[in-house]
Amino acid sequence: MINQDAVCLDALSVDFDGRFQLSDIRWTIQPGEHWLITGANGSGKSALAAVLAGEGECLSGSRSGLPDRVALVSYERQAELIEAERRKDDADILDVISEGTPVAKIIDEVCQDHELAQALVETLGLRPLMGRAFRKLSTGETRKVMLIRALTSRPELLVLDEPFDGLDHDSLTWLQAHLRVLAKTVPMVIVLNRFDECPEFITHIAYVDHGHLLHQVKRDDESAFAELYQLLHLKMSELEVPMADPAVRLPALNSGDPLVRLTGATIRYDDNTVFENLDWTIEANEHWQLSGPNGSGKTCLLSLITGDHPQCYVNDIMVFGFQRGTGESIWQIKQYIGYVSSALQWEYRVGTGLRNVIISGFFDSIGLYTKSTETQKAIADQWLALLGMTARADEPFNRLSHGDQRLLLIARAMVKHPPLLILDEPCLGLDDLNRQLVLALIERICTSSETAVLYVNHRLEDHVLGIDKHLTLSTPSV
Amino acid sequence: MANNYFNTLPLREQLAELGKCRFMHLAEFTEGVDALKGKKIVVIGCGAQGLNQGLNLRDSGLDVSYTLRAEAIEQKRQSWKNATENGFTVGTYDELLPTADVVLNLTPDKQHTPVVNAIMPLMKHGACLSYSHGFNIVEEGMQIRDDITVIMVAPKCPGSEVRAEYVRGFGVPTLIAVHEDNDPNGDGLALAKAYAVGTGGHKAGVLMSSFIAEVKSDLMGEQTILCGMLQTGSLLCFDKMIEEGIEPGYASKLIQYGWETTTEALKYGGVTNMMDRLSNPAKIRAFDLSAQMKDIMRPLYKKHQDDIMNGTFSKTMMADWANDDAELLGWRADTAETAYEKTDAADVEIAEQEYFDNGILMVAMVKAGVELAFETMTAAGIIADSAYYESLHETPLIANTIARKKLYEMNATISDTAEYGCYLYNHACVPLLSDFMKDIKSDVIGKGLQLDDDGVDNARLIEVNEAIRNHPVEQIGGILRGYMADMKRII
Repeated sequence: MINQDAVCLDALSVDFDGRFQLSDIRWTIQPGEHWLITGANGSGKSALAAVLAGEGECLSGSRSGLPDRVALVSYERQAELIEAERRKDDADILDVISEGTPVAKIIDEVCQDHELAQALVETLGLRPLMGRAFRKLSTGETRKVMLIRALTSRPELLVLDEPFDGLDHDSLTWLQAHLRVLAKTVPMVIVLNRFDECPEFITHIAYVDHGHLLHQVKRDDESAFAELYQLLHLKMSELEVPMADPAVRLPALNSGDPLVRLTGATIRYDDNTVFENLDWTIEANEHWQLSGPNGSGKTCLLSLITGDHPQCYVNDIMVFGFQRGTGESIWQIKQYIGYVSSALQWEYRVGTGLRNVIISGFFDSIGLYTKSTETQKAIADQWLALLGMTARADEPFNRLSHGDQRLLLIARAMVKHPPLLILDEPCLGLDDLNRQLVLALIERICTSSETAVLYVNHRLEDHVLGIDKHLTLSTPSV
Repeated sequence: MANNYFNTLPLREQLAELGKCRFMHLAEFTEGVDALKGKKIVVIGCGAQGLNQGLNLRDSGLDVSYTLRAEAIEQKRQSWKNATENGFTVGTYDELLPTADVVLNLTPDKQHTPVVNAIMPLMKHGACLSYSHGFNIVEEGMQIRDDITVIMVAPKCPGSEVRAEYVRGFGVPTLIAVHEDNDPNGDGLALAKAYAVGTGGHKAGVLMSSFIAEVKSDLMGEQTILCGMLQTGSLLCFDKMIEEGIEPGYASKLIQYGWETTTEALKYGGVTNMMDRLSNPAKIRAFDLSAQMKDIMRPLYKKHQDDIMNGTFSKTMMADWANDDAELLGWRADTAETAYEKTDAADVEIAEQEYFDNGILMVAMVKAGVELAFETMTAAGIIADSAYYESLHETPLIANTIARKKLYEMNATISDTAEYGCYLYNHACVPLLSDFMKDIKSDVIGKGLQLDDDGVDNARLIEVNEAIRNHPVEQIGGILRGYMADMKRII
């Protein structure tokens, strides 16, 4: 009964009526595997499921190994069926009231197993509705009919798009139990956007984003599974970026003053000039991308702004209203800046709990040396919720994965809503999945706060929405 | 050579000065760096302490420049590079000192006399001279012009740590003092406090002490437990492990990182916590070994303290200074040739607990050294607070340097004064412990007890625990670590 061929989508691009495209899908479903497809709203996960049922126009690539009987339950299929019923309603033309196709007939049309169909109709409580017109059912009832059609069609591949949506509790419990049994004989692909509903028998997870199949993860790869969960959470969560601490007021900047103004900036060691005569002004609310080859001095330039470069005292630098070298302290400067880099992550080798790491952003310290207020703790907890790390608030920071540490440090940098957020290659050293996580977080920050973002990056595909100004440093002069 | 200042004081004043040490509260630093704001600070010397303290002070909004000897500037020596590459103004003594309000003398001890003699005539009336070690004033009896305020600000960490902790938003524990004979305007303390804030020290805890207490306790601590005991322990434990057939790379690693790991426990919860990391039978063994070693080494600790108090030590060392450091350099070379120093740590995994389980003798040595140094210092009139900082508190800091690059790194990081004293201790202590070491087997160093049954006699365990917990260094340690809990890092 189990299909012995692997289903194989090879470099497949599919168009859906010009409305949506899946691009370059490379996916193999081996016999015995059960897949979960997930992704944010509009990412293309339903489209990917539909492709298995033969839908969409193939632009390039190939799909092979698909069995003859693929059953698909989805909102789209449901809507099509209802739409078809509506078209059959020719009341306008004949001036009679159409009853539409009764439920019993709708089920019968595709049924291969009448005994099962009868049992399902009983179990799902559809018996009293069998004579009613299909299109007059409620959404939940329609969904049940669709499920019965799929389950009784002796499918060789069962594709279920959000099958648990809209089902009442009893039906849901029954369906889950039924799928568990069915999984022993029928391969399944299930689309869900909530991980916590992921059935036990699922062996693999596919993550779809912007029409691409981005990640394929084995269920028993626990860390990858957890990261996918987090990514989905960041993309889907309706939680807002937490507010700043109302009790902490930064000394106000004169409106109209730039945040940063470098005039003729130069960094030189011995005879080696990193860069010279660089002018750069960053106004409030501007988002900048800084790029340039290795060694062109990107990090040096940033550290002139943050005050971490000792030569900031011999350059003409105005930051946040302070002319550098006139008696200001670096802590007065740093209070206006949030900062993330892999160097910071390297420095931040502490066993502090996650909550305290975020709180340390209020004090610009590595580690926490100051008593925090209840408000600050509450804000830190909101950030943890946004990151999907609430349950891990007290875990030691240095035990986190590299990617999780990066996320936490971004939250730390942002916790005080600084006028300027500096992200120095925030995706450096991260795998694909973690890069997605970091970019998702940055995007949420860029679009939901008044912080100016200064972003350093090499990779074009790591472009962040909303960053429109560019400064490119050239190769160092020798 | 001038008179030893300490020896010129009557006993009454000697005791009063030795007894000075008070842990200052954060609330005493609310004025921040105000006392130094707008003043011209000139640092002499741009080594690790000079550069890093200067970086911190400048980042705290203060006006810092460096003065170097004319040759160092002309030849663009490392100290000149350090200062200029970090964007500091650098000038000769003649150029910078006449307008300096505060002069920070951060040169090595042995240069103090010539440096101070050279700068004093150039310093303006009423300026302030700061030291980070009181040796020159106390042991060499340097007399400073009456109008000059003399203070000491001594971060209790290597220069690199002073900077690293500041950048993290914290600081390192710092000792401050005012030389009572040179406080003409009565603002010495205010200046010292502002300086400590400028380097970030106030966040980690400041001890107000005296020049004399600082010198006498600092010398004692560094020679005995801090550097001496760790060096002697490293050499003896390594040789014993080789003799017992332990793989040399493993032995090297167990020692190199063992001091750091075991004394980390010391940092958090004193000797009690370090001993509690051992199994009960191992703890009792370590306790007994430590008691034996304390009996053997007690006369040596007393001799070191006596030589420090009566000036014999400084006289001996200064004679070597006058002889171009012949002894120091020879001993340094000898250390580099020891089997331990020449054996690289193997690339083997040693779990944190394994350092305790297989390093029972090392734990016993740390316990013996800390307790003996503390007992000897307090018996000599040094107040318990000072004795705690100069023994137990600093041991993990020195252990960290060994973890980085073995004895070479320790001796490179500590002052020449500490290094000289450390060798004196080592030369006396190795033969002293030779009989004791004959009975040592790999069960207490290298392999662990490997008992089938960890059972112990209850009465004996209670007795041992009581003895550990009731030692005076544990009493004062509990109080001081408690004070610091308010301000220490929350990690």
